[in-house]
Amino acid sequence: MVEGGRALEVLSAIRERYPIVMHGVSMSIGSADPLNRDYLRKLREAARRFSPAWMSDHLCWTSVGGRNLHDLIPLPYTEEALRHVVRRIRAVQDAIERPILMENVSSYMAFADSAMPEWEFLSRVAEEADCGILLDINNVFVSAFNHRFDACEYIDAVPADRVVQYHLAGHSDHGTYLLDSHDHPVREEVWSLYERAVRRFGAVSALVEWDDNIPDFGALAATADRARRIFINAASNFVRRDRNGGSAERTGTAPVPADHRA
Amino acid sequence: MAVRLKELERLLYRLITAPSGVAEGLAAERGLPPGGLDAIVRGDSRLSATQRVDIYASMYFNRLLDVLKEDFPATLKALGEVNFHNLITGYLLEYPPTEPSVHFCGRHLAAFLRDHPMRVKAPYVADLAALERALVKSFHARDAVALDAETMRSIPPAKWPAVRVGMHPAASILAVKWRVSGLLAAIAGNRKWKPSARGDVKVLVWRRNARVFHRELEPAEEHALAAAARGTTIARICDLIASSMRHGNSVAEANRLLARWIADGILVRMPNSRRRSVNRR
Repeated sequence: MVEGGRALEVLSAIRERYPIVMHGVSMSIGSADPLNRDYLRKLREAARRFSPAWMSDHLCWTSVGGRNLHDLIPLPYTEEALRHVVRRIRAVQDAIERPILMENVSSYMAFADSAMPEWEFLSRVAEEADCGILLDINNVFVSAFNHRFDACEYIDAVPADRVVQYHLAGHSDHGTYLLDSHDHPVREEVWSLYERAVRRFGAVSALVEWDDNIPDFGALAATADRARRIFINAASNFVRRDRNGGSAERTGTAPVPADHRA
Repeated sequence: MAVRLKELERLLYRLITAPSGVAEGLAAERGLPPGGLDAIVRGDSRLSATQRVDIYASMYFNRLLDVLKEDFPATLKALGEVNFHNLITGYLLEYPPTEPSVHFCGRHLAAFLRDHPMRVKAPYVADLAALERALVKSFHARDAVALDAETMRSIPPAKWPAVRVGMHPAASILAVKWRVSGLLAAIAGNRKWKPSARGDVKVLVWRRNARVFHRELEPAEEHALAAAARGTTIARICDLIASSMRHGNSVAEANRLLARWIADGILVRMPNSRRRSVNRR
């Protein structure tokens, strides 16, 4: 969130030619602090200026007591946290005048007080706050390893009509835990999970995140092509399921306009 | 208000930012439930609760260290890796980040260095950090339409003296006690460098075509640009340039400096102030 200069200049140039989505890391939706109204005002101004297809941030907290950790810290999956987050997402959507997507984070700690699995927390947040889900497939895989849950169970439990975007990324293996480092190729297991997600949620937009050890453009393009091939194949057979698992519609088109696809 | 959530977040914040690590941070905690951190964070055979929080503690420091290394590459080089690491350890305790953007993390580093023991060995380094911070601010500063030569040509020369100008939001003047502009240029250019010499000078920082620049101001520029920063007319700028000169052609000098500032995009055109109508009785 800068006022001007090269970042906005480049973004403006891109926006002239392409649709964009806006993704943040500092909304701190789960913080016990009051919402940062100045930050939300800047977000609203940016949204008015660039007309993104959608805006997203993470289901976590990053700041408390007026201090910022600049990291995505997980929440306890409790009724208290659920009510708190739902109330704040509704307030944010009012403030920025549009719905947002919430992304599941990679996490390295879980809380003894948690009363429900992460996928139930995410699903209930989306339903009760009436927001979309940005499903990070790599984050599901990383957290499943770190907290010993079944990644497939996670994918199968998320409400299909809430998922608007996927993230794919690589991670680093530290032996006792996986770290969401965005500095490796997407792992085969994550590709498999992605295929499972596309079969369930359809060919919505996918973004490959690669922030460090960035390979040459050919390798990046090949990764994007693989993601695109998977959802083109899956989209032709995509059956959107209703809440009870029944077949609600059969369609070869994704629930967002074609120019928003990966 | 989510009181329990607030307590949990504040506890985790204290542990993640504890200067000597999570274990020592835990030892200083009062009021933990029976069972300590294990009653709050789930540990397992792979990683204990403390080790899990420690992952976040390590990321907190290293992420911010990386950000500050990027924002202060010359300060890093002048101090060396180990000194810079130690400096940032203390800095983050004194000035923990408060803003949503990491761009603000380094805004107090120069002030922190002014009172830091490292100033004894490298007294110029606080000014060097101040200059690097000014470059970061300039890079991200608000956009504005710079006064350019074409606009000036469209104004009849007879009206130039009355044209009001201000300074571009991405331009600033930094007062320093050490001649750090040359040092920064040498380090950035990978040239041989030596510590800055003492010298009360002003450094101009500006942005043009999304790139940032810096240079020491000439004496004739100082008062005139300071006035521009407050907003003034070209006539006043010319007067200030003339009054700062002991000899030489002040008209030619004003032309030269104005042409340079306009070419560098340092000035913006401001609306001419309207005279207020005053009812006198």
